[in-house]
Amino acid sequence: MSYSALTRHYFEAASAAGVLEGARCARGAAGAREEGTWVQFDLELDPSGARIERARFRAFGCPHVIAVASFLAEQAPGRPLEERWPESVAALRERFEVPVEKLGRLLIVEDAWTAAARAALARPKTH
Amino acid sequence: MSELAPPGVPIYLDYAATTPVDACVAARMSECLTAEGCFGNPGSSSHAYGEAASERIARARREVALTVGAAPEEVIFTSGATEADNLALFGIAQYYHSTGRHIVTARTEHKAVLDAARELERRGWSLTYLTPDRGGRIAPDQVAAALRPDTVLVSLMHVNNEIGVIQDIGAIAAACAAAAPQAFVHVDAAQSVGKCAVDLHAWGIDLLSLAAHKAYGPKGIGALIVSRRRSVQLTPLLYGGGQEHHLRSGTLATHQIVGMGEAFALVRSTLSEELTRVARLKARLVQGLEAIGGVLINGDPAHSVPHILSVSIEGVEGESLLAAVRSTIAVSTGSACSSAGAEPSYVLRALGRSDRLAEASLRFSLGRYTQPADIERAVEVVRAAVERLRRIAGS
Repeated sequence: MSYSALTRHYFEAASAAGVLEGARCARGAAGAREEGTWVQFDLELDPSGARIERARFRAFGCPHVIAVASFLAEQAPGRPLEERWPESVAALRERFEVPVEKLGRLLIVEDAWTAAARAALARPKTH
Repeated sequence: MSELAPPGVPIYLDYAATTPVDACVAARMSECLTAEGCFGNPGSSSHAYGEAASERIARARREVALTVGAAPEEVIFTSGATEADNLALFGIAQYYHSTGRHIVTARTEHKAVLDAARELERRGWSLTYLTPDRGGRIAPDQVAAALRPDTVLVSLMHVNNEIGVIQDIGAIAAACAAAAPQAFVHVDAAQSVGKCAVDLHAWGIDLLSLAAHKAYGPKGIGALIVSRRRSVQLTPLLYGGGQEHHLRSGTLATHQIVGMGEAFALVRSTLSEELTRVARLKARLVQGLEAIGGVLINGDPAHSVPHILSVSIEGVEGESLLAAVRSTIAVSTGSACSSAGAEPSYVLRALGRSDRLAEASLRFSLGRYTQPADIERAVEVVRAAVERLRRIAGS
């Protein structure tokens, strides 16, 4: 299996790997380790609750899964909190040159992101 | 090769996939190619060119035979172990089809045997696939229990290419002789030469497959050893020329055969010291990997060749593990022949490993050029990759 330079970069750096905890944080996950792919996102919102301040991920999966999850978490700070990531799975697949047979794994990354965003949107308003 | 490779080139730890051709072997081979050398057709007995090539082949045949306890006339040169396996299975099945149509093999065999067996099954033969114990071993009485009055062949490998486990071929052959004397015994020994002793007649088997490129010889040449002990008969796969006792027609590839003979002579002369040296390296590798934690050895270590170590690693995903180490070490996940597929190793699954653990497996295979520093570096790289991937996964 060969990987694009972008995939290798995010797989090797994975600088947003980790967890976030606190009153302004929300968590969402999808997939299952025993099935081969599991992803979790933690989102920390700004005090207004409208924007993402920080994001971290955990991932058990192939290099494409780790790279895409890492990319999403790194790109998240400053973005408005929305249920869906603005870039489609198809666009992410193209950006990272993910083989078509791995499309299901990218959908798990998307599901994890959506679960985290929903959890964040469902948080009780503090202001 | 580690001692020759420039910085940045991965350390080669995939000798079970193939080995580099020994320089002495390459030199002998090159003597058989050009106008100044033994380029003649070994079948051309009417002139000196053919005779010279024929003499080289006879010498190589003796070396191959000597290495595996056979007689020179029992050596049938083929294009490799895959062809030898196919000749054994199809050759027996076709020739003895009116005697019986049952064949016994194992779920952990190489694809060269399994795919041939599946094809025979498709053509109407009955196959029994034995499942080894969790250590990868097949008991002689397990084989005996599978035999039937219509069994014509038992085909089992000597050294497993993925886990390095050695089968007790002598005991299995004895069990077959007692329970079903009509059944012939074929052994795929592609991984054995240079890693442990091979002895056709001491084992009491009928057919033995060999490959040159696993023992520092060239690719594209192997042999099927056909024992004359019981006058086993085979229907050939190829026709045209009648070479190799009519079992493998086609002009003999002098340079390839000479390379195989030279390579086998070299590994035979260094076998005992090489086994001791590689066993030390493997012990250090096992120690270093086990210290990482969550590293499970595949196959029974008490019955394995020192050259092969397969491990499954908990808490990491297989593809990411390989991607994380591949720039530094050249290892395999499962067999090289099936690594293009996304399926977890069927060998490890047959041993009871889960799909996830089978996928998260690495096969280290050591060889002539492996040095202690290579092992230290490999352990260091795997440790760093596993710790990083477990941290990312929160394992």
